[in-house]
Amino acid sequence: MSEAKVVAEIKSDWPANTTRPDCAVISLEGVCREYAGRGDVVRALEDATFSIVAGEWVAITGPSGSGKSTLVNMLGCLDRPTRGELKIDNVDVASMSSTELDRFRAEKIGFIFQQFHLIPYLSAVENVMLAQYFHSMTDEKEAKAALDRVGLGHRTGHLPSELSGGEQQRVCIARALINNPPILLADEPTGNLDAANQAIVADLLKDLHRNGHTVVMVTHDPEMATLAQRRIALSHGKVFCHPVGGPIVTLRR
Amino acid sequence: MFLRLLWESFVRQRRRKLLAGIAILFGTTAVTAMLALATTIGDRIHKELAVYGANIVVYPKAEQLAVKVGGVDIKPATGNAYLKESDLSKLKTIFWANNINGISPELPLQLKHVFPDGTTPISAVGLWFHHPLGSGAATITTGASELHPSWKLNGSWPTSKEEAVIGSSLSNRLNLRTGDNLPVIAANTQNLHITGTVSTGDENDEKLLLPLATAQFLNNTPDAVSRVEVSARTKPEDSFARTDPDTLSPKQREIWYCRPYANSISYQIREVIPGAAAEQIRKVEQTEGTVLARISGLMWLISIAALLAASFAVSAAMATAILERRGEIGLMRSLGASKASIALLFYAESGLLALFAGVLGYLFGSGLAAWLGAHIFAGSGVPAIAVSTLPATSIFIPVLLPVVVATALIVAIAGSTPSIRSALKMDPSSVLRANA
Repeated sequence: MSEAKVVAEIKSDWPANTTRPDCAVISLEGVCREYAGRGDVVRALEDATFSIVAGEWVAITGPSGSGKSTLVNMLGCLDRPTRGELKIDNVDVASMSSTELDRFRAEKIGFIFQQFHLIPYLSAVENVMLAQYFHSMTDEKEAKAALDRVGLGHRTGHLPSELSGGEQQRVCIARALINNPPILLADEPTGNLDAANQAIVADLLKDLHRNGHTVVMVTHDPEMATLAQRRIALSHGKVFCHPVGGPIVTLRR
Repeated sequence: MFLRLLWESFVRQRRRKLLAGIAILFGTTAVTAMLALATTIGDRIHKELAVYGANIVVYPKAEQLAVKVGGVDIKPATGNAYLKESDLSKLKTIFWANNINGISPELPLQLKHVFPDGTTPISAVGLWFHHPLGSGAATITTGASELHPSWKLNGSWPTSKEEAVIGSSLSNRLNLRTGDNLPVIAANTQNLHITGTVSTGDENDEKLLLPLATAQFLNNTPDAVSRVEVSARTKPEDSFARTDPDTLSPKQREIWYCRPYANSISYQIREVIPGAAAEQIRKVEQTEGTVLARISGLMWLISIAALLAASFAVSAAMATAILERRGEIGLMRSLGASKASIALLFYAESGLLALFAGVLGYLFGSGLAAWLGAHIFAGSGVPAIAVSTLPATSIFIPVLLPVVVATALIVAIAGSTPSIRSALKMDPSSVLRANA
């Protein structure tokens, strides 16, 4: 996809955003991520500058190889920028040690994966409790309440293999929510689901957004992308996005 | 949750765990068997070498004269200076008394065999046969009959003062057989009854072997002993053993004194028997030391090889196991698990495996050691023992259990470390995507 086409698409498809940058929960300023390739440097992300405010629902889109994964890894504190400033909840994660980053990730980010990534030998409630375990301490009652919230209160003792794809994804959402993180990072949350389950998960995300959660969603699905308030499009490692407050496309560099 | 994760993790991938467990089991079995044998092999080798005689000789100090025969430092029996037989019980009062397995005092003398028509000179030696030494529960039965198991006796050892056994060469020369009577004369006279012929393979084949008391009576030297052979369980000689204790600091001297070197036992014998000189018979001691050193070296080599092989097997099994579970690792990392907590989980899993395999290895290894001990040392002086008849206390050495389990843990941890390190280096996001 050419840069001009991306810009045109954003201009034509996306409504004005009403959120304001009064409390940015994520902010990137000139963020670059480079990898050492064979003899040269591969720039996976170039000079990304944007912010996401608390309670916002943002869709990250772009073709394969556009730098989506790199961006999501950094927003999920699984990776650090080579250059630039990345602040999550007003904390510069670029300067954090690996251990601090682990702790920070447990506190601030809830992951929802396309492939669910549930531990096959743990029951639904134990999968949810796993996130509690790595965060602080387990509380089965709370974990069951989280499952109840996603409509799986009656399936807490089932193994992932005994659940449908949609149910597994709901367990994944309950796990992401259990520690009450300020940011939910959903990587293709409906990519592996049929239409019926896609609708259930979409409704759940809408509920979460309505309740004030910040949702950052990577998606290839245009229908899912329309649910978000704003889209951040990537192409060849460059970011094109509606700035907070309006549908103006900024192309740095 | 940790225990739940650990147990679930432990019982999964059973084939790989079984392979790693078997590798640790083999390694720890070998180590247990080697260690168990090493703790008893000194005694066993000493018993084997005891066939070739004593390892310490005691003689009157006034008669010091070095005579070496075939490299063996042996002091000659003398007719002028004697030790007291009554002093020999003091040997069981020295610091290393329990290491003295047997003694054989000697009193050589010249007799004349009295014929109806004349006399013939005979060399004789007074010895102990099945003689009690010590007191109470520490009493041992000892003498030439015990100290020289290689001597071949046809008949029975003397049980009274009027009995004797005759050396095989002398028996042939004088045409004397078991059951014959032999009147002899020296300072006194005695009519001896021959209870057996003995083949010793040394100069004693040309001698008449009498009870020590009879020799003292014939020689008219009551309580006299010319030479005492001592068989003691000793530690192989090293450079410290050869140190003169009088040149050592008090602390070093105490250490030297409290080690069962042949030299320190000899020193202690000199302390308790007045006028005695005591020295080790180097050939036996050196043979024992050399054999022990070589066997110990071989045992260590086998143990190290077994442990290395076990470690590589664990490493290979863990590498595959971790590779299969990289998705889980990626998930845990994305949930905020620190590298340390993930490493702890995998190390605990390896540790649990090592614990099971280590305890089993200890049991198998102890049994193997008992079996090897009973079969390797069967014959040539040391009786074979059926393992099934051994009491549990002699098969299992409890102190080895923690050593073996700790060894198993070290092997498992060393084997797991490369795989765990590489697992922790994996990028969680790419692992999650690869597993998608």
